[in-house]
Amino acid sequence: MMLRSRYWKLCVVFMLLAGATVLFAACGEDEATTTTAATAPDGSTDTTSGPTETTATETTETPTDTTLGGKDTVVWGAARSISGGQSIFEETAMGPIYKMYVDDINEAGGLEVAEYGKKMPIELKIYDDQSSIDTCTRLYEKLIVEDKVDFLFGPTSTAFLYAAAEVAKSHHYIMMAAEGGATSLHEQVKENPYIFGDLQFADWNQVPVLVSLMQEVGVKSVGIFYIDDLHGMEYSSVAEEELTGTDIEIMFKTAIPGDIKDWTNQIKQAESANPDAICLFAYPDQNFPAIGAMIQLDYNPKMILTGPGACYQAFADSFGPAADGVMGFGAWNAKSSPGLAEFTERFEARYTIGAMDWWGGAPYYSTLQALGQAIEKAGSLDQEKVLHALNTEHFQTISGDWYYDTQLPAVECYPGMVGQWQDGVFEVVDPGAKRTAEPIFPKMEWPK
Amino acid sequence: MGAARDIIIAGLLLGGIYALIAAGLSLQYGVARVLNVSHGEFIMIGAFITWWMFTNLALDPLISIVITGPLMFVLGILLYRFIYRKIMVDSESIDAFEGSSMLAAFGFLYVVQNVARWIWGSNTYAYTYMATSVTSARIPLNRLVALAVVAVVAIIFYVFLSHTRMGKAIRASAQDPTTAGLVGVNVYRVLGLCFGLGLAMAGIAGSLLSILYSVNTSMGLGYTVIALIVVVLGGLGSVQGAFIGGILLGLMSSLVSYYQPSMTMVAYYVVFILLLLIRPKGIMGK
Amino acid sequence: MKTNSLISSKNAGLVLLGVIFIVLALLPQFTHAYVIVLFSDIMKFVVLTVAWVLFAGPTRYISLASAAFYGVGLYTSAILNASLPFPLVVILAGVFCFIVALGVGALTLRLKGVYFTIFTFGLVQLLFYAVAEIERIATGKRGRFVATEGTETVYYAMFILVVVTLLVAVLIRRSRHGLALSSIGQYEEAASHSGVNVVRTKVLIFAVSSIFMGMAGAIVATRRAYIDPGIAFDLNVSFMPVLMAILGGTRHLVGPVIGAIIFAYLGEFLLTRLPDLYMLVFGAVMVIAILFLPRGLVGLAQQLWRKYRGGARAPAGG
Repeated sequence: MMLRSRYWKLCVVFMLLAGATVLFAACGEDEATTTTAATAPDGSTDTTSGPTETTATETTETPTDTTLGGKDTVVWGAARSISGGQSIFEETAMGPIYKMYVDDINEAGGLEVAEYGKKMPIELKIYDDQSSIDTCTRLYEKLIVEDKVDFLFGPTSTAFLYAAAEVAKSHHYIMMAAEGGATSLHEQVKENPYIFGDLQFADWNQVPVLVSLMQEVGVKSVGIFYIDDLHGMEYSSVAEEELTGTDIEIMFKTAIPGDIKDWTNQIKQAESANPDAICLFAYPDQNFPAIGAMIQLDYNPKMILTGPGACYQAFADSFGPAADGVMGFGAWNAKSSPGLAEFTERFEARYTIGAMDWWGGAPYYSTLQALGQAIEKAGSLDQEKVLHALNTEHFQTISGDWYYDTQLPAVECYPGMVGQWQDGVFEVVDPGAKRTAEPIFPKMEWPK
Repeated sequence: MGAARDIIIAGLLLGGIYALIAAGLSLQYGVARVLNVSHGEFIMIGAFITWWMFTNLALDPLISIVITGPLMFVLGILLYRFIYRKIMVDSESIDAFEGSSMLAAFGFLYVVQNVARWIWGSNTYAYTYMATSVTSARIPLNRLVALAVVAVVAIIFYVFLSHTRMGKAIRASAQDPTTAGLVGVNVYRVLGLCFGLGLAMAGIAGSLLSILYSVNTSMGLGYTVIALIVVVLGGLGSVQGAFIGGILLGLMSSLVSYYQPSMTMVAYYVVFILLLLIRPKGIMGK
Repeated sequence: MKTNSLISSKNAGLVLLGVIFIVLALLPQFTHAYVIVLFSDIMKFVVLTVAWVLFAGPTRYISLASAAFYGVGLYTSAILNASLPFPLVVILAGVFCFIVALGVGALTLRLKGVYFTIFTFGLVQLLFYAVAEIERIATGKRGRFVATEGTETVYYAMFILVVVTLLVAVLIRRSRHGLALSSIGQYEEAASHSGVNVVRTKVLIFAVSSIFMGMAGAIVATRRAYIDPGIAFDLNVSFMPVLMAILGGTRHLVGPVIGAIIFAYLGEFLLTRLPDLYMLVFGAVMVIAILFLPRGLVGLAQQLWRKYRGGARAPAGG
């Protein structure tokens, strides 16, 4: 019976471990050449699979070779939260956008890379990080070291972006952000020359624009509810900074938990303080019920602004006519530019307009366009050359002229910062030239 | 005065729903001995079915209770029959069964949630139903209706437990399954029935929650946690305790969230952990 | 089978074990970085699962506190790694976890079965909300940046931790405490009557097992650059070791090791090939393992081995 002693078992285990090494090495070779299986996860793949599959068969014959000319595709990789708590972003935020972008480019033949003297289609390599940050960093390591992808874009959420950017930096890879944006990016770009932002955030430049809008329409007092996480804390503290020195008074500033269930008492308290404007710096899970409670209690302040919430088409679809007058960060719509009009049309044809994000849709797509065009301008797949192009060139995107100001898209590139639902359209109401409709203030009554 | 009134009203309205959620969990544990940590996932299924029927078929959410309740009941019976009963037969002792069945429930948590995500995606949805308020205290009408539904369910259940043969069998099996089996109660049938009833309550609670709050496929765990807290508060396995615990937690939540909403969850867990340490049998426990 | 061959095969086993450890130790010299990263991750799961089984295996208490200790380790690293040397940070993380676990254990290990499980579940949540609230009030921020270490450093740290964890686990199982612990699992009252200090033994082993979880957290934090309470106190970290241990089997130390490796490998396969199915498979495996593999893969292997050996010898009890 000594045969079954613990040592023996441990041995077996470590043999397995060693076996796994060999297997993985083998798998690594495999994966570098065959790609269809791992590419585009399901969702709305019908359109994705077309071009990707054809390119994949080509690559099977010519294993990835670093010598020029031996390569037919440009591989873009990312680890995304396809399952787990963050899957909503992959499904509704960046996910639909990158699939669409890659198909758009490939339908036109691909990216023109001078180094190779030809058009090269983009091949996607997407893994699922299960909403786990450890898995996320590991998969970026895999994408870089084992799959040797040519370019990366970001994982889901800000915390994941920072962790993944660290991996990318250590291998000198450019990291284009996805659903990540926070004031701490200002610090990050100082330490990491490879990270590029994409979304607007509190002091870039949403809250300052919001405050000038408030001044324009004559808001005298504000009440703030904020979720007690990264997002809520940043917006509320930037709002506090921006509002000091103006004649707008902050009546209250209340932290709320992510799993708040019942808003009735919070809304009743807000009502008794009665500020002109209510700001909800939280997510749809909190903002939807908050708006619901306001409708129910028939409390209608002159201005209501939500963090991510109102910017989704799903918000307007859920609340119907009651959505009208509610403001949200974002912002863009089909009227913002001809490029965005055409983009909206194509998005609607491919998905449904109900899936549109009137905040991130434009910046996500523009960011990918910027990377694609930077590759073409550099005429190379070399990270440093493309990095140089990103830092110095201007790009023509759906949002119009697009360029980087210390690794963040310049503030004036964005189509807007604050939007308001008016007759089913998320109108840009920023003071200045970006405005697509005059703000309605005070907002209309809730429909009966 | 206004504040106290608002806190109490909101607490009672919230507590009613909590009680219904917890009663289902308590029934499952108290009689069937399954600590069903996937309870919240079935609430989510109930909520989604109701939302789906409201938006696609324009079916009144109160009518869909008559659908979600029985549907979940049947699902519960099947789950018990094919999963938990096998685990019970294989287990050496009741303690071993409690451990294994809880772990199986964890497995179902993942399975149900991911099947739902596969069907409905990860988006948050909401709809408006009876979105007005009544009386001078401005009580939200839909919450009041939800509380009334909970009361009706509680009364029906009470009558069922105290006035029917099956109810008697359930009470007997809860107290002493072995003896109940000896005197001719088909214990497995009773346990399966209780598990099914627990899920039916989850389904009904889900329908009501979809009226009051938004729905998304990851909402389940939060409600499981609340049910666990309530059940510990009221005494694990005691259905009356679940109702009292639910109301108490609702009141406490309302009080804390009135003054410092971000502390609500901390307060839940502090109460929960203190209670486990000081009086693990719960306030109604024997 | 003769005694001679037994001894020699045991020696051969020891030699093989040594070779494998040496291979693992030298691995970074031979192979490219991804294997290193993947192995670090698998070893993390091995540590968490073995540590979980160290306590849960013999006592049959189902602890969901792994994420709490892991999170404490992460935060120790996030707060201290910029100012103290890395090995010291890892050791400190272990010490903090030991102290926390002593307190938690002393308070809760009087509770039985499901109460203990619910408590540990609540503990993770309480720590999450408490840390988030403390950070909000004290720093006005949500998360923290962590000073990072290289992949090889992390690999070696994790490798050493695996070796230490396995060594301690083997030693404890063979020690007086290990025997006392398994007697508690079999029949707590009898153990107590025969002179075992039930509570002290349970608390001590619980605290020792938490050391490794905390250390694993402290090491992993240095690969993350940024952590926040939601990431640190993630309930999935509590569920994973349970699942891995159930799959592998909890009666022998080799069970959790095999469970962790197979599951991590399965995970790697699924999330690169069939990402949509990952979590679904995770849950289904758990249910199936409970229904059909009450003693895990190791139990199954033993059963098959016995069948293969035929009726030559009477079945030996685990």
